[in-house]
Amino acid sequence: MSAVLDELAAGGVRLAIPLLLASSGELLSERAGVLNLSVEGMMLTGAFAGAAGALASGSAGVGVLTALAAGLLFAALQALLSVVLRADQIVTGITANALALGATTYGSRLVFGDASADSVPGFDPIPVPGLHRIPVLGPALFEQTALGYAAFAVAAALALGFSRRTGWGLAVDAIGEDATTADRCGLPVRAVRFAAVLLTGAVSGLAGAQLALSEVHAFSDNITGGIGHLAVVAVIAGRWLAWPTILACLFFGVAQSLQFAAPALGLHVSAPLLTTLPYVVALLAVSGLVGRSRAPSGLTVPFLRGS
Amino acid sequence: MPPPPLPPSAPAPSSAPRAALPRLAPLLGHPVSVGLLAVVLAGTAGLGLVLGAGTTPATAWNALAEGMFGSPYAIGSSLNSAAVLALIATGFTAAHRAGLVNVGGEGQLCAGGLAAAAVGLALPAGVPAVLGVPLVLVAGFAAGAAWAGIAARLRTRRGTSEVITTLLLNFIGVGLVSVAVHEEALLRQPVTSSETLPQSAPLPEGARLPLIGGIESPATAIVVIAALAAVITGVVLRRTAVGLRLRSVGHSPAASARLGLPVARLETGGLAFAGGAAGVAGAGLVAMAPSVLAEHFSSGYGFSGLVVGLLARGSLTAVAAVSLLFGFLTNGGINLQLAAGVPASSVQIVQSLLVLFVAAAMFATTRNRSTS
Repeated sequence: MSAVLDELAAGGVRLAIPLLLASSGELLSERAGVLNLSVEGMMLTGAFAGAAGALASGSAGVGVLTALAAGLLFAALQALLSVVLRADQIVTGITANALALGATTYGSRLVFGDASADSVPGFDPIPVPGLHRIPVLGPALFEQTALGYAAFAVAAALALGFSRRTGWGLAVDAIGEDATTADRCGLPVRAVRFAAVLLTGAVSGLAGAQLALSEVHAFSDNITGGIGHLAVVAVIAGRWLAWPTILACLFFGVAQSLQFAAPALGLHVSAPLLTTLPYVVALLAVSGLVGRSRAPSGLTVPFLRGS
Repeated sequence: MPPPPLPPSAPAPSSAPRAALPRLAPLLGHPVSVGLLAVVLAGTAGLGLVLGAGTTPATAWNALAEGMFGSPYAIGSSLNSAAVLALIATGFTAAHRAGLVNVGGEGQLCAGGLAAAAVGLALPAGVPAVLGVPLVLVAGFAAGAAWAGIAARLRTRRGTSEVITTLLLNFIGVGLVSVAVHEEALLRQPVTSSETLPQSAPLPEGARLPLIGGIESPATAIVVIAALAAVITGVVLRRTAVGLRLRSVGHSPAASARLGLPVARLETGGLAFAGGAAGVAGAGLVAMAPSVLAEHFSSGYGFSGLVVGLLARGSLTAVAAVSLLFGFLTNGGINLQLAAGVPASSVQIVQSLLVLFVAAAMFATTRNRSTS
C-alpha cells in the first residue's frame, strides 16, 4: 500500500513539474493581459531543441541552454505578432501550436533520423541526503534531477517576486486590468507584455527540456501531448492567483498519475475520465462555484495608445 | 529584444510608410494583396520543406494538385472537410456579431457527434433516411447548442468570460467522447477480441448522410447544409432585425440594454447558434463514412474552424472562401505524403505560416478602418 502511495506522490510531482514551470510563466502573461494559448508549442519546441542540443554537444547542460534559447525565440516571434502587430491572440496561439507540432515533427526526421532519439544525454536524479528517506514526500520531492530542483526554485521565485505585494506584481496586474489607464500612469504596457510573453517562452522551454532530458532522455513526436494546454488550464483553475495555481498543478499531476496507480489500488477508473478531470475542476473554479473568480479584464485585448 | 518605447507624442506607427508611399499604401493594405503576399511567402517556405525532404517541386506539386482536384474522390472529400469548417466558422461569425468569441467549436463538435451517435445507434436498423438523417442532425444541433449554452449561461449569470469557459469545454467534450467510446456500457461497440477498436458500432444505413455527387465522390449532404447555413446566416445577419439587434449588442451591451433589448437572451442565442452549427458539423462527421464515433474523430476541426472564422472577420463570403482553401489544402497535403513522400507535417507548417502571415498583416487593414 505504501509503495503505491509513494508511486502516486512521486508520479504526481514528476508530472506536475513541467506544469509548474510553464504555468508560473503563463500566470504572469495572463495577469498582464496576454492569453498565451501557445504554451504547448513553446514546450514542444523546448523539448525538441533541448534534445537536439544535448545530442549535438553531448551535454545535457547545453541542451537546457538550447531549450531556453528556442523557447525565447518562439516567444519573441509570437510577441511580435500579438503584442506589437496586435494580431489576434487566439489565432496566433492556436496556430503557433500547429506550427510547432509540424516543425518539430519535420525536424526530428532530419535531426534524429528514423532511429528515434533514445540516446540523448540527460540528467540523473540527485537524492537529497536524509530528506529523501521521508515516507511518501521524500521520493516525491527530494529525488529530482538538477533541472527539477531548478524548476521548483524558478516557480517559487516567480510566485514571490511578482506577488501582489511587490511593485512589479502590481504593475503587471494594473496592465492586465486596464492597459490604457496603466499607460497614462507611465507604465510601459507593451514592454511589460512583450517581456511576459518572453518569460513564458523561457520557462515553457525549460519545461520542455525537463520532459525530454530529465524524464525520458529522448524526443518523440508530440512528446508534450497536451501538457502545455494543462498549464494554461492550471492558471484558470488557480483563479489567476499564484498559490492556488501551484496547488492546481500538483492536483493535476496526481490526477494523471492516478491513471497508472489505480490498477494497483484495485480501482477501476476510466483513464479518459481522469484525463478530463482537470478541465472539469477548472470549469468549476472559473464558474464561481468555488470562491470568487475573475479573469483580468484586459485579457486578450490588444493595446494601442489613443484607441 | 524589447520594442523601443514610444515617446508620448509619437504618431501612430502607420503614418510614416503611408506618407512615403501615398499611392501604394491603400493597394498594399488591401485584403487581396495581403492574402497574395501571405500565399507567396508561405509557398516559398513550403518549397524549402519539399526540397528538404528530397522531393522535386514538380513531383510535389503534382501530388498536391492530384490530392485536391485530381479525382471525384479528392474533390468530394475536400468539399466535405470544407463544409465542416464552414459550419463552425458560420456559427462563430453569428456569435461574434453579438460580441462573443466562441473558442469552443471543438467541444461543441464533439457534443454534437456524441449525441448524433447515441441517437443514430438507438434507431432501428431499417429506419428510412427521410426520418433518420434529420433526427441525427437535429440531435447534433441540440447537443452542440446545449454545450455552448453552458458557457452562455455562465457569462450572462456570473459574468465569466466565454473565451475561458468555451476553451475548457473543448477539452471536456473531447474527453467525454473518449469516455463514451471506451466503455461498453456507453457507446463502445461490443468487444469481441483484444483488437476491437475503441469506437462505436456503425450507424444504421438510414442515419447516414446521403451522397450528392454520384458513387465515385464521397461528397455528402453536409456540403449543401453548410452552403445553406452560410447563405441564410448571411442574410439574417445583414438584412433582418435579429441581425441588427445582435450587432447592437456586440457594439455595446449597456446601450442595447437601455434601448430595451433582451441582451442576455440575444447573447445566449448567438452562442447557442454557434454551438448548434458546430454540433451539426460533428453529427455530419459521424454520419459520413466510416459512420462511427471514434476517439479524436474531431481531429482539430473545431480549432481550424475557429481560425477560419477569425480570419474571415465577419464576412460569410470570406468564410466560404477560406473554408474551401483549407479543406482543399488539407486533402492535398494528405496526398503529398502518400504520393510524393513529403511529410504531412510540411503542409501543417505551410498552413500555419499562411495563417500567421495573414493575422500579422491584418493589423494594416484594421488600422485603416479604425482611423478613417
